[in-house]
Amino acid sequence: MSDSFKMDNIPFSLLTPEEQATVEASLDLEYYQQGEKIITAGEAPEGVYIILKGRVRESEGADEDQHIYVHYQNEDYFGGWSSLRGEAIHDFTAEEETICHILPTKVLIDLIQSNALFADYFQQNFSAKSEIVAQHSRNQDMAEFMLSKIGNATVREPLVVEEGTSIREATRLMREHKADCVLARKGGRYGMVTGTDLLDAVVLKERSLDDDVSEIASYRLVTADPEDYLFNALITMTQQQIERVVVMSGQEMIGIVELTDVLSYFSSHSHVIGLRIERANSLDELREAARGLNDLIKALISTGVKIRFTMDLLAAMNGRIIAKLFDLTIPSDMQPHVCLIVMGSEGRGEQIMKTDQDNALIFRDGLSWKDMQATMNRFSETLISFGFPPCPGNIMVSNPQWVNSVGDWTQKLNDWAESCEGDAQMNLAIAVDAKPVAGNQALYKVARNWFLRHLRNNDVFFSHFAKAAIEFDTPLTFFGNIRERGELDIKKGGIFPIVHGIRTMALEHRILATNTYERIQALADAGQIRDDNGKDISEALSLFVQLRLRQQIRRVEESEDGFDPTPNLIELDKLNKMERDLLRDALQIVKGFKKHLSLRYHLGG
Amino acid sequence: MIIPRTIRRLQERRTHKNGPWAELFESYSGDEIVSLDCETTSLDVSKAEILSIGAVRIKGQKVKTSDRLDIRLKPPASLTSESIKVHKIRASDLSDGIELDEALDKLLAFIGNRPILGYYVNYDIRMIDKFLRPKYGFGLPNKAIELSHVYHDIIKWKHVGGDVDLRFDTIASKLDIPIIQRHTALGDAITVALMYVRLKHGQAPTNTH
Repeated sequence: MSDSFKMDNIPFSLLTPEEQATVEASLDLEYYQQGEKIITAGEAPEGVYIILKGRVRESEGADEDQHIYVHYQNEDYFGGWSSLRGEAIHDFTAEEETICHILPTKVLIDLIQSNALFADYFQQNFSAKSEIVAQHSRNQDMAEFMLSKIGNATVREPLVVEEGTSIREATRLMREHKADCVLARKGGRYGMVTGTDLLDAVVLKERSLDDDVSEIASYRLVTADPEDYLFNALITMTQQQIERVVVMSGQEMIGIVELTDVLSYFSSHSHVIGLRIERANSLDELREAARGLNDLIKALISTGVKIRFTMDLLAAMNGRIIAKLFDLTIPSDMQPHVCLIVMGSEGRGEQIMKTDQDNALIFRDGLSWKDMQATMNRFSETLISFGFPPCPGNIMVSNPQWVNSVGDWTQKLNDWAESCEGDAQMNLAIAVDAKPVAGNQALYKVARNWFLRHLRNNDVFFSHFAKAAIEFDTPLTFFGNIRERGELDIKKGGIFPIVHGIRTMALEHRILATNTYERIQALADAGQIRDDNGKDISEALSLFVQLRLRQQIRRVEESEDGFDPTPNLIELDKLNKMERDLLRDALQIVKGFKKHLSLRYHLGG
Repeated sequence: MIIPRTIRRLQERRTHKNGPWAELFESYSGDEIVSLDCETTSLDVSKAEILSIGAVRIKGQKVKTSDRLDIRLKPPASLTSESIKVHKIRASDLSDGIELDEALDKLLAFIGNRPILGYYVNYDIRMIDKFLRPKYGFGLPNKAIELSHVYHDIIKWKHVGGDVDLRFDTIASKLDIPIIQRHTALGDAITVALMYVRLKHGQAPTNTH
């Protein structure tokens, strides 16, 4: 039997060899002809069914009223829930000739009692499932590699000197220990002195070599918890533009993590790009640095980095490119009077490939700056030359409509919110995801806070705004028909409903975060969605983004002009069994979420 | 002297009517069938030795793979390199096999008086009879069902002119049945069982060319 029943498919791969032997000895095979009912609603199934060959649909009702939930095909299993409950809720029917393995309920129950992991996979919600998959899938090495904690391997023992140690002595000790920084203890606190600090102190500030090294130390240490992911340390270093963080467990200092150590963990060269961005003094240098980003993304994806980390890192990188360009383009006397915001997916920090630029400028009421629009045009053009495609909807600073004073901007938000027209709603959806990236952030905050206050308790608005989230059907019946219609638009079917639904709820509860994951967390913290639902939705979104990205990269590589005309398409026959399983579960979650939105915002249908 | 099987069976039935194996000779009234397959060292019954025996019960449209017989025998002296090529069974694979006598006891207990299904089933029955008769004084009395006949009877109405291709792999692919562990006794027994269930309970295959 061992070659007809794939024991290495999850969840059976979670079993011990003895338990797998039990499964093997307990399986029966049954043949069903086309149209035959395998499990009838209301009856107790014999056990869990695993399809050897064929196709099965799960449905409710008969004939014209029949509602099909899911299709199952080779190697899929079904009936597990029903058999544990002792009663099936839906009908399971063979759509074509089907042969199933049957694992009797009794054996299933025994396994669930003896194997906690198997039980979890069988009974748990989606996020627990994907967690188990992540830990047990073939990419295990990579996943562990990405998820390595700071405390594991890379922490260096720091060189510590007491207050009163001279600069000369500290330098000598650093040389001796081959350290490139030293921690000076002053009272109960630690201050960091790097090689650069020493040089600055002695050469530029002309301090004496006998001076106390603790006087030139910096006591505002950037710290990290040893339990945190190493990858987050890298993000911190990128954002703060530093090369080491101090690892603290509570009040106790554990050691130092150096950038070079982190980099040796991450084969890609994110920080190299980060440094180049930072050091760029001309547009050409910045352009060169920006062009390295695509390779970085590919490297991260191919090494199995969690998609959320990739998004975080990329958002940090893109933000810095844009901020740097702002620095290079906008005259410094104007910088305090304007604020550049990025919107849409960029504002949420969720774009992966360099997507369209969605940006806008907010300036101080009454600012007089003759060259403003010309400068903005140049800004947009430069971004295009960096490989950020222009926005098809022309939502960018080269369009005067998106360059506004604070007063005009709030008025615009207000007008859009009151209009029921599609364009206005879309503009608003993009605008409420805005995030300031350069210039005077206070200008942006004034407008945002006013708008959120303005929306308070405006039920009609929220009901109208939420509607878009349930507009597109979420396809669950595709799976059986892979040969006929093997593709789905994952943006319409999965990503948009989540992003927009969460956006609406976040607006209603005046949550300031723009990132969807952070919004979900904040909504959960505020008690607006259940914790476990929030986790499920987050995982589902990650899965959609990840699957979409992998297919995008493949299509770009296969195409001649490096262009993917159908970026949101998921080709189902390119997915493996595990991915199909997860995708199906994730789409179920979207369906549930849409139902929740309909009830909450009285959307009917 | 060659005695036709049916006559011989009648004789043996009379002889064993009151013996310990009387049950085997009663006509079967249940709804189960046993799908049986033997792997042997040769296709010539007089020279061949049994390497392994696989059997599985069929009940209705269910192949009860949980209720099965998977016997491997001690390597016979005649295990030659030819048969290794056919079955991919080497002497070392059989080192933990059981003795033939024990195997026959288990087999009789498993089959009982159920009908026996197989692909070229007469060959398997004759192989077993060859070893059964010296020890027990009878051959398998069970009704035999030949898969290729069942297939042929259903196919021939659809198939005008020419011979029906009755090769194992052809039947499997025409019936769209996955071949399970080809060249193991149990695997072939299961595949045959699935083909039988498919023929009995499904529609006649449409694509026969």
